[in-house]
Amino acid sequence: MTDCAGPGTGARPVASDLPDLGVGVGWRPEIAGVVADLPNLRFCEVVAEGIHTHVPLSGPLATLRERGVTLVPHGVRLSLGGAEPVSPERVKHLADCAALLGAPLVSEHIAFVRAGDLEAGHLLPVPRTRAAVDALAANYVRTVEGLGGVPLALEPIAALFDWPDDEYDEADFLTAVLDRTGALLLLDVANVYANARNRGQDPVALLDRLPLERVAYVHVAGGREHEGLYHDTHTDAVPQEVLELVTALAERATPAGWLLERDGDYPPADVLRAELAAITTAVGAGTRAAGAR
Amino acid sequence: MSDPAAESTAPQGSARGDDTAAARPGADPAARLAVAQAALVAALVAGGPLPDGFDAGRVDAARRALLRKRAGEVARAWPLLAGGLGTAFTPRFVQWAARRPPAGSFADGLAFAQQLRDKGELPPLAVEELAQRERPAPSVRRRIWPFKRR
Repeated sequence: MTDCAGPGTGARPVASDLPDLGVGVGWRPEIAGVVADLPNLRFCEVVAEGIHTHVPLSGPLATLRERGVTLVPHGVRLSLGGAEPVSPERVKHLADCAALLGAPLVSEHIAFVRAGDLEAGHLLPVPRTRAAVDALAANYVRTVEGLGGVPLALEPIAALFDWPDDEYDEADFLTAVLDRTGALLLLDVANVYANARNRGQDPVALLDRLPLERVAYVHVAGGREHEGLYHDTHTDAVPQEVLELVTALAERATPAGWLLERDGDYPPADVLRAELAAITTAVGAGTRAAGAR
Repeated sequence: MSDPAAESTAPQGSARGDDTAAARPGADPAARLAVAQAALVAALVAGGPLPDGFDAGRVDAARRALLRKRAGEVARAWPLLAGGLGTAFTPRFVQWAARRPPAGSFADGLAFAQQLRDKGELPPLAVEELAQRERPAPSVRRRIWPFKRR
Protein backbone atom coordinates (compact mmCIF):
# COMPACT_ATOMS: atom_id res chain seq x y z
CA MET A 1 0.00 0.00 0.00
CA THR A 2 2.90 2.37 0.26
CA ASP A 3 4.19 2.65 -3.27
CA CYS A 4 1.31 1.78 -5.57
CA ALA A 5 -1.50 4.02 -6.67
CA GLY A 6 -4.81 3.23 -5.10
CA PRO A 7 -7.76 2.16 -7.19
CA GLY A 8 -9.36 4.88 -9.22
CA THR A 9 -6.33 7.10 -9.71
CA GLY A 10 -5.97 5.89 -13.31
CA ALA A 11 -2.87 6.77 -15.30
CA ARG A 12 -0.38 8.90 -13.41
CA PRO A 13 -0.16 12.41 -14.83
CA VAL A 14 3.29 13.40 -16.07
CA ALA A 15 4.58 16.89 -15.38
CA SER A 16 6.43 17.14 -18.70
CA ASP A 17 3.11 16.75 -20.56
CA LEU A 18 2.14 20.29 -19.54
CA PRO A 19 2.67 23.19 -21.95
CA ASP A 20 5.39 25.75 -21.22
CA LEU A 21 3.55 28.26 -19.02
CA GLY A 22 6.31 30.77 -18.31
CA VAL A 23 5.96 33.17 -15.39
CA GLY A 24 2.37 33.85 -14.41
CA VAL A 25 0.41 35.44 -11.61
CA GLY A 26 -2.43 34.46 -9.32
CA TRP A 27 -5.46 36.26 -10.76
CA ARG A 28 -7.40 38.22 -8.16
CA PRO A 29 -10.27 40.65 -8.84
CA GLU A 30 -8.30 43.49 -7.19
CA ILE A 31 -5.45 43.22 -9.72
CA ALA A 32 -7.50 42.22 -12.77
CA GLY A 33 -6.53 45.43 -14.57
CA VAL A 34 -2.82 44.96 -13.98
CA VAL A 35 -2.99 41.31 -15.02
CA ALA A 36 -4.93 42.16 -18.19
CA ASP A 37 -2.14 44.55 -19.21
CA LEU A 38 0.73 42.10 -18.71
CA PRO A 39 2.40 41.39 -22.05
CA ASN A 40 3.35 37.79 -22.86
CA LEU A 41 1.25 36.40 -19.99
CA ARG A 42 0.72 32.68 -20.52
CA PHE A 43 -0.92 31.51 -17.31
CA CYS A 44 -2.90 32.50 -14.24
CA GLU A 45 -4.36 30.68 -11.33
CA VAL A 46 -7.88 31.52 -10.24
CA VAL A 47 -9.12 30.74 -6.72
CA ALA A 48 -11.73 28.06 -7.35
CA GLU A 49 -14.06 29.10 -4.53
CA GLY A 50 -14.43 32.53 -6.18
CA ILE A 51 -15.54 31.18 -9.57
CA HIS A 52 -19.22 31.13 -10.51
CA THR A 53 -19.71 28.02 -12.59
CA HIS A 54 -23.44 28.36 -13.26
CA VAL A 55 -22.95 31.21 -15.74
CA PRO A 56 -20.69 31.44 -18.80
CA LEU A 57 -17.22 32.88 -18.27
CA SER A 58 -17.32 36.66 -18.71
CA GLY A 59 -15.32 39.80 -18.03
CA PRO A 60 -11.54 39.83 -17.58
CA LEU A 61 -11.22 36.04 -17.18
CA ALA A 62 -13.08 35.45 -20.44
CA THR A 63 -10.76 37.96 -22.14
CA LEU A 64 -7.69 36.17 -20.79
CA ARG A 65 -9.01 32.83 -21.97
CA GLU A 66 -9.72 34.26 -25.44
CA ARG A 67 -6.11 35.47 -25.51
CA GLY A 68 -4.97 31.89 -24.96
CA VAL A 69 -3.84 32.42 -21.36
CA THR A 70 -3.94 29.08 -19.50
CA LEU A 71 -6.23 29.39 -16.44
CA VAL A 72 -5.77 26.95 -13.57
CA PRO A 73 -8.41 26.63 -10.82
CA HIS A 74 -6.71 26.64 -7.42
CA GLY A 75 -8.86 25.28 -4.61
CA VAL A 76 -8.36 26.39 -1.02
CA ARG A 77 -11.28 24.84 0.85
CA LEU A 78 -11.50 21.20 -0.24
CA SER A 79 -9.74 19.94 2.93
CA LEU A 80 -8.00 17.04 1.17
CA GLY A 81 -6.03 16.28 4.32
CA GLY A 82 -9.09 16.11 6.52
CA ALA A 83 -10.03 12.84 8.18
CA GLU A 84 -13.52 13.24 6.73
CA PRO A 85 -14.23 12.50 3.05
CA VAL A 86 -14.09 15.55 0.79
CA SER A 87 -17.49 17.04 -0.02
CA PRO A 88 -18.80 15.78 -3.39
CA GLU A 89 -20.21 19.27 -4.02
CA ARG A 90 -16.75 20.83 -3.62
CA VAL A 91 -15.24 18.21 -5.94
CA LYS A 92 -17.95 18.89 -8.51
CA HIS A 93 -17.28 22.61 -8.23
CA LEU A 94 -13.58 22.03 -8.97
CA ALA A 95 -14.53 19.90 -11.98
CA ASP A 96 -16.95 22.58 -13.18
CA CYS A 97 -14.21 25.22 -12.75
CA ALA A 98 -11.79 23.14 -14.83
CA ALA A 99 -14.41 22.77 -17.57
CA LEU A 100 -15.35 26.46 -17.51
CA LEU A 101 -11.72 27.62 -17.70
CA GLY A 102 -10.59 24.86 -20.08
CA ALA A 103 -7.87 24.06 -17.54
CA PRO A 104 -5.15 21.45 -18.19
CA LEU A 105 -4.98 20.75 -14.43
CA VAL A 106 -6.33 21.90 -11.10
CA SER A 107 -4.54 22.29 -7.79
CA GLU A 108 -5.30 21.97 -4.10
CA HIS A 109 -3.37 21.69 -0.83
CA ILE A 110 -1.95 19.00 1.39
CA ALA A 111 -3.85 20.45 4.32
CA PHE A 112 -7.13 20.43 6.15
CA VAL A 113 -9.37 23.46 6.69
CA ARG A 114 -12.17 22.11 8.85
CA ALA A 115 -12.80 19.37 11.37
CA GLY A 116 -15.93 18.37 13.17
CA ASP A 117 -18.23 21.34 12.65
CA LEU A 118 -15.54 24.01 12.86
CA GLU A 119 -14.03 25.94 9.94
CA ALA A 120 -10.44 27.02 10.52
CA GLY A 121 -10.58 29.69 7.81
CA HIS A 122 -7.06 28.76 6.77
CA LEU A 123 -4.92 25.85 5.57
CA LEU A 124 -3.74 23.75 8.49
CA PRO A 125 -0.95 21.15 8.50
CA VAL A 126 -1.83 17.47 8.77
CA PRO A 127 0.21 15.25 11.06
CA ARG A 128 2.94 13.57 9.04
CA THR A 129 1.67 10.07 9.84
CA ARG A 130 0.64 6.95 7.93
CA ALA A 131 -2.97 7.64 8.97
CA ALA A 132 -2.75 11.08 7.33
CA VAL A 133 -1.25 9.59 4.14
CA ASP A 134 -4.19 7.15 4.08
CA ALA A 135 -6.71 9.97 4.54
CA LEU A 136 -5.04 12.13 1.85
CA ALA A 137 -4.84 9.23 -0.59
CA ALA A 138 -8.51 8.38 -0.09
CA ASN A 139 -9.55 12.01 -0.63
CA TYR A 140 -7.22 12.30 -3.63
CA VAL A 141 -8.95 9.31 -5.24
CA ARG A 142 -12.40 10.77 -4.50
CA THR A 143 -11.38 14.08 -6.03
CA VAL A 144 -9.66 12.69 -9.13
CA GLU A 145 -12.66 10.48 -9.83
CA GLY A 146 -14.85 13.58 -9.82
CA LEU A 147 -12.46 15.54 -12.02
CA GLY A 148 -12.97 13.20 -14.96
CA GLY A 149 -9.39 13.03 -16.17
CA VAL A 150 -8.15 16.53 -15.33
CA PRO A 151 -4.94 16.08 -13.26
CA LEU A 152 -4.85 17.35 -9.68
CA ALA A 153 -1.58 18.83 -8.42
CA LEU A 154 -0.96 18.88 -4.67
CA GLU A 155 0.64 21.81 -2.88
CA PRO A 156 2.44 21.43 0.46
CA ILE A 157 1.70 24.34 2.80
CA ALA A 158 3.67 26.58 5.12
CA ALA A 159 3.04 25.85 8.79
CA LEU A 160 4.25 27.52 11.96
CA PHE A 161 4.06 24.32 14.03
CA ASP A 162 4.47 20.58 13.66
CA TRP A 163 2.31 17.83 15.15
CA PRO A 164 3.76 15.98 18.14
CA ASP A 165 3.02 12.58 16.60
CA ASP A 166 4.85 13.05 13.28
CA GLU A 167 6.22 9.77 11.94
CA TYR A 168 7.92 11.26 8.86
CA ASP A 169 9.97 14.38 8.25
CA GLU A 170 8.60 16.75 5.61
CA ALA A 171 10.51 15.35 2.61
CA ASP A 172 9.67 11.73 3.44
CA PHE A 173 6.03 12.60 4.07
CA LEU A 174 5.62 14.47 0.77
CA THR A 175 7.41 11.67 -1.08
CA ALA A 176 5.08 9.12 0.55
CA VAL A 177 2.00 11.16 -0.44
CA LEU A 178 3.19 11.56 -4.04
CA ASP A 179 4.25 7.90 -4.35
CA ARG A 180 0.96 6.74 -2.96
CA THR A 181 -1.29 9.03 -5.03
CA GLY A 182 0.77 9.49 -8.18
CA ALA A 183 -0.17 13.17 -7.98
CA LEU A 184 1.70 16.06 -9.55
CA LEU A 185 3.40 18.47 -7.17
CA LEU A 186 2.66 22.18 -6.97
CA LEU A 187 5.75 23.30 -5.12
CA ASP A 188 5.63 26.64 -3.31
CA VAL A 189 9.22 27.75 -2.81
CA ALA A 190 8.09 30.37 -0.30
CA ASN A 191 6.54 27.59 1.79
CA VAL A 192 9.74 25.55 1.51
CA TYR A 193 11.67 28.62 2.64
CA ALA A 194 9.26 29.44 5.49
CA ASN A 195 9.20 25.91 6.90
CA ALA A 196 12.96 25.43 6.65
CA ARG A 197 13.69 28.81 8.19
CA ASN A 198 11.26 28.33 11.08
CA ARG A 199 12.78 24.90 11.78
CA GLY A 200 16.34 26.16 11.44
CA GLN A 201 16.92 23.93 8.39
CA ASP A 202 18.39 24.45 4.92
CA PRO A 203 15.64 24.89 2.29
CA VAL A 204 17.90 23.66 -0.53
CA ALA A 205 18.53 20.42 1.38
CA LEU A 206 14.75 19.89 1.44
CA LEU A 207 14.52 20.54 -2.33
CA ASP A 208 17.20 17.91 -2.89
CA ARG A 209 15.11 15.28 -1.13
CA LEU A 210 11.84 15.92 -3.02
CA PRO A 211 10.74 14.09 -6.20
CA LEU A 212 11.27 17.20 -8.33
CA GLU A 213 10.39 15.40 -11.57
CA ARG A 214 6.79 15.53 -10.34
CA VAL A 215 6.69 19.36 -10.05
CA ALA A 216 3.97 20.64 -12.38
CA TYR A 217 4.43 24.29 -11.54
CA VAL A 218 5.76 26.50 -8.79
CA HIS A 219 4.38 29.14 -6.46
CA VAL A 220 6.42 32.15 -5.41
CA ALA A 221 5.15 34.51 -2.72
CA GLY A 222 6.17 37.11 -0.21
CA GLY A 223 6.21 37.10 3.55
CA ARG A 224 7.68 38.79 6.57
CA GLU A 225 9.22 38.11 9.91
CA HIS A 226 6.96 38.67 12.92
CA GLU A 227 8.08 37.99 16.49
CA GLY A 228 10.96 35.82 15.35
CA LEU A 229 8.99 33.61 12.95
CA TYR A 230 8.76 33.93 9.18
CA HIS A 231 5.12 34.26 8.09
CA ASP A 232 4.09 33.34 4.54
CA THR A 233 1.71 36.28 4.26
CA HIS A 234 1.25 36.74 0.49
CA THR A 235 0.83 40.42 1.36
CA ASP A 236 4.52 41.40 1.40
CA ALA A 237 7.28 41.53 -1.18
CA VAL A 238 9.06 38.34 -2.29
CA PRO A 239 12.28 38.26 -0.25
CA GLN A 240 15.65 37.76 -1.91
CA GLU A 241 16.05 34.39 -0.16
CA VAL A 242 12.91 33.09 -1.90
CA LEU A 243 14.18 34.32 -5.28
CA GLU A 244 17.42 32.46 -4.59
CA LEU A 245 15.37 29.33 -3.97
CA VAL A 246 13.66 29.90 -7.34
CA THR A 247 17.12 29.82 -8.92
CA ALA A 248 18.10 26.71 -6.92
CA LEU A 249 14.94 24.93 -8.08
CA ALA A 250 15.43 25.99 -11.73
CA GLU A 251 18.92 24.46 -11.54
CA ARG A 252 17.39 21.15 -10.47
CA ALA A 253 14.08 20.87 -12.33
CA THR A 254 12.11 22.19 -15.28
CA PRO A 255 8.62 23.02 -14.00
CA ALA A 256 6.07 24.03 -16.63
CA GLY A 257 5.50 27.40 -14.98
CA TRP A 258 6.25 29.77 -12.12
CA LEU A 259 3.49 31.78 -10.51
CA LEU A 260 3.52 34.81 -8.22
CA GLU A 261 0.84 34.71 -5.53
CA ARG A 262 -0.31 37.93 -3.94
CA ASP A 263 -3.39 38.04 -1.71
CA GLY A 264 -3.65 41.54 -0.34
CA ASP A 265 -1.93 44.90 0.19
CA TYR A 266 -1.56 44.95 -3.57
CA PRO A 267 1.37 47.05 -4.73
CA PRO A 268 1.27 49.47 -7.67
CA ALA A 269 1.37 47.90 -11.13
CA ASP A 270 5.05 48.69 -11.71
CA VAL A 271 6.06 46.98 -8.44
CA LEU A 272 4.06 43.86 -9.34
CA ARG A 273 5.62 43.82 -12.82
CA ALA A 274 9.08 44.20 -11.25
CA GLU A 275 8.41 41.18 -9.00
CA LEU A 276 7.42 39.11 -12.03
CA ALA A 277 10.56 40.27 -13.84
CA ALA A 278 12.67 39.32 -10.81
CA ILE A 279 11.17 35.82 -10.89
CA THR A 280 11.91 35.55 -14.62
CA THR A 281 15.51 36.59 -13.95
CA ALA A 282 15.86 34.12 -11.08
CA VAL A 283 14.49 31.26 -13.20
CA GLY A 284 16.84 32.21 -16.05
CA ALA A 285 19.85 32.19 -13.74
CA GLY A 286 19.02 28.67 -12.58
CA THR A 287 18.31 27.39 -16.08
CA ARG A 288 21.64 28.81 -17.34
CA ALA A 289 23.53 27.30 -14.42
CA ALA A 290 21.96 23.91 -15.17
CA GLY A 291 22.84 24.24 -18.87
CA ALA A 292 26.46 25.11 -18.10
CA ARG A 293 26.98 21.86 -16.21
CA MET B 1 -7.88 14.93 29.41
CA SER B 2 -10.62 13.80 31.77
CA ASP B 3 -10.09 10.10 30.98
CA PRO B 4 -7.06 8.93 32.94
CA ALA B 5 -6.96 5.60 31.09
CA ALA B 6 -6.57 7.27 27.71
CA GLU B 7 -3.93 9.53 29.19
CA SER B 8 -1.81 6.81 30.74
CA THR B 9 -1.88 4.30 27.89
CA ALA B 10 -1.47 6.63 24.93
CA PRO B 11 1.91 6.23 23.24
CA GLN B 12 4.45 9.00 23.63
CA GLY B 13 3.47 12.06 21.63
CA SER B 14 0.28 10.65 20.17
CA ALA B 15 -2.86 12.71 19.69
CA ARG B 16 -4.28 12.95 23.17
CA GLY B 17 -6.06 15.66 25.07
CA ASP B 18 -9.43 14.15 24.38
CA ASP B 19 -11.68 11.88 26.33
CA THR B 20 -13.62 10.15 23.58
CA ALA B 21 -13.17 6.50 22.64
CA ALA B 22 -11.92 7.51 19.19
CA ALA B 23 -8.85 9.14 20.70
CA ARG B 24 -7.65 5.96 22.43
CA PRO B 25 -4.67 4.08 21.06
CA GLY B 26 -6.68 1.02 20.03
CA ALA B 27 -9.16 3.10 18.03
CA ASP B 28 -9.27 3.22 14.25
CA PRO B 29 -6.46 5.53 13.02
CA ALA B 30 -8.89 7.51 10.85
CA ALA B 31 -11.18 8.11 13.82
CA ARG B 32 -8.21 9.17 15.95
CA LEU B 33 -7.09 11.53 13.19
CA ALA B 34 -10.57 13.08 13.06
CA VAL B 35 -10.60 13.65 16.83
CA ALA B 36 -7.08 15.07 16.83
CA GLN B 37 -7.84 17.45 13.94
CA ALA B 38 -11.04 18.64 15.63
CA ALA B 39 -9.16 19.33 18.88
CA LEU B 40 -6.51 21.33 17.04
CA VAL B 41 -9.07 23.43 15.13
CA ALA B 42 -10.96 24.08 18.38
CA ALA B 43 -7.73 25.27 20.00
CA LEU B 44 -6.99 27.55 17.05
CA VAL B 45 -10.39 29.16 16.47
CA ALA B 46 -12.76 28.40 19.33
CA GLY B 47 -10.75 28.94 22.50
CA GLY B 48 -10.33 25.19 23.06
CA PRO B 49 -7.46 23.77 25.12
CA LEU B 50 -4.13 23.12 23.45
CA PRO B 51 -3.91 19.39 22.63
CA ASP B 52 -1.03 17.61 24.39
CA GLY B 53 2.40 17.63 22.86
CA PHE B 54 2.13 20.72 20.67
CA ASP B 55 4.55 23.63 21.01
CA ALA B 56 2.30 26.14 22.80
CA GLY B 57 4.20 29.17 21.51
CA ARG B 58 4.07 28.05 17.89
CA VAL B 59 0.37 27.14 17.98
CA ASP B 60 -0.38 30.48 19.62
CA ALA B 61 1.61 32.27 16.89
CA ALA B 62 -0.51 30.43 14.31
CA ARG B 63 -3.71 31.26 16.21
CA ARG B 64 -2.86 34.95 16.25
CA ALA B 65 -1.82 34.90 12.58
CA LEU B 66 -5.22 33.39 11.72
CA LEU B 67 -6.96 36.17 13.64
CA ARG B 68 -4.96 38.86 11.82
CA LYS B 69 -5.74 37.25 8.45
CA ARG B 70 -9.41 37.01 9.41
CA ALA B 71 -9.41 40.67 10.42
CA GLY B 72 -7.97 41.59 7.01
CA GLU B 73 -10.67 39.63 5.21
CA VAL B 74 -13.44 41.22 7.28
CA ALA B 75 -11.94 44.66 6.67
CA ARG B 76 -12.11 44.05 2.91
CA ALA B 77 -15.75 42.88 3.16
CA TRP B 78 -16.71 45.78 5.49
CA PRO B 79 -14.63 48.74 4.26
CA LEU B 80 -16.61 51.48 6.06
CA LEU B 81 -16.59 49.60 9.35
CA ALA B 82 -12.83 49.12 9.03
CA GLY B 83 -12.33 52.72 7.91
CA GLY B 84 -14.50 54.04 10.74
CA LEU B 85 -12.47 52.22 13.38
CA GLY B 86 -9.15 53.04 11.72
CA THR B 87 -6.13 51.58 13.49
CA ALA B 88 -8.43 50.25 16.24
CA PHE B 89 -10.16 47.91 13.79
CA THR B 90 -7.70 45.01 13.92
CA PRO B 91 -7.18 44.90 17.70
CA ARG B 92 -10.91 45.33 18.38
CA PHE B 93 -11.87 42.69 15.83
CA VAL B 94 -9.21 40.26 17.05
CA GLN B 95 -10.45 40.67 20.61
CA TRP B 96 -14.03 40.03 19.51
CA ALA B 97 -13.13 37.06 17.27
CA ALA B 98 -10.65 35.24 19.50
CA ARG B 99 -13.12 32.70 20.86
CA ARG B 100 -15.64 32.80 18.02
CA PRO B 101 -15.05 30.36 15.14
CA PRO B 102 -14.96 32.05 11.71
CA ALA B 103 -18.35 32.19 10.01
CA GLY B 104 -17.16 33.90 6.81
CA SER B 105 -16.11 37.52 6.44
CA PHE B 106 -19.63 38.83 5.75
CA ALA B 107 -21.19 37.10 8.76
CA ASP B 108 -18.23 37.88 11.01
CA GLY B 109 -18.37 41.56 10.08
CA LEU B 110 -22.14 41.66 10.56
CA ALA B 111 -22.01 40.14 14.04
CA PHE B 112 -19.06 42.33 15.04
CA ALA B 113 -20.77 45.51 13.80
CA GLN B 114 -24.03 44.61 15.53
CA GLN B 115 -22.20 44.09 18.80
CA LEU B 116 -20.51 47.48 18.43
CA ARG B 117 -23.89 49.09 17.77
CA ASP B 118 -25.41 47.40 20.83
CA LYS B 119 -22.61 48.88 22.91
CA GLY B 120 -23.06 52.31 21.27
CA GLU B 121 -19.61 52.07 19.73
CA LEU B 122 -20.41 51.71 16.04
CA PRO B 123 -18.49 54.45 14.19
CA PRO B 124 -20.80 56.88 12.32
CA LEU B 125 -19.08 56.00 9.04
CA ALA B 126 -20.26 52.38 9.39
CA VAL B 127 -23.90 53.03 10.30
CA GLU B 128 -25.24 53.05 6.75
CA GLU B 129 -23.07 50.08 5.71
CA LEU B 130 -24.57 48.00 8.51
CA ALA B 131 -28.12 49.22 7.90
CA GLN B 132 -27.87 48.46 4.18
CA ARG B 133 -26.65 44.95 4.82
CA GLU B 134 -29.33 44.22 7.40
CA ARG B 135 -32.10 45.04 4.92
CA PRO B 136 -33.69 42.01 3.30
CA ALA B 137 -32.02 41.35 -0.06
CA PRO B 138 -34.13 41.99 -3.16
CA SER B 139 -35.36 38.81 -4.77
CA VAL B 140 -32.37 37.44 -6.63
CA ARG B 141 -34.63 35.39 -8.84
CA ARG B 142 -36.61 38.40 -10.04
CA ARG B 143 -33.47 40.44 -10.53
CA ILE B 144 -31.45 38.06 -12.69
CA TRP B 145 -34.13 35.89 -14.30
CA PRO B 146 -34.50 37.92 -17.55
CA PHE B 147 -30.73 37.66 -18.18
CA LYS B 148 -30.52 33.96 -17.45
CA ARG B 149 -33.32 32.93 -19.80
CA ARG B 150 -31.95 31.23 -22.87
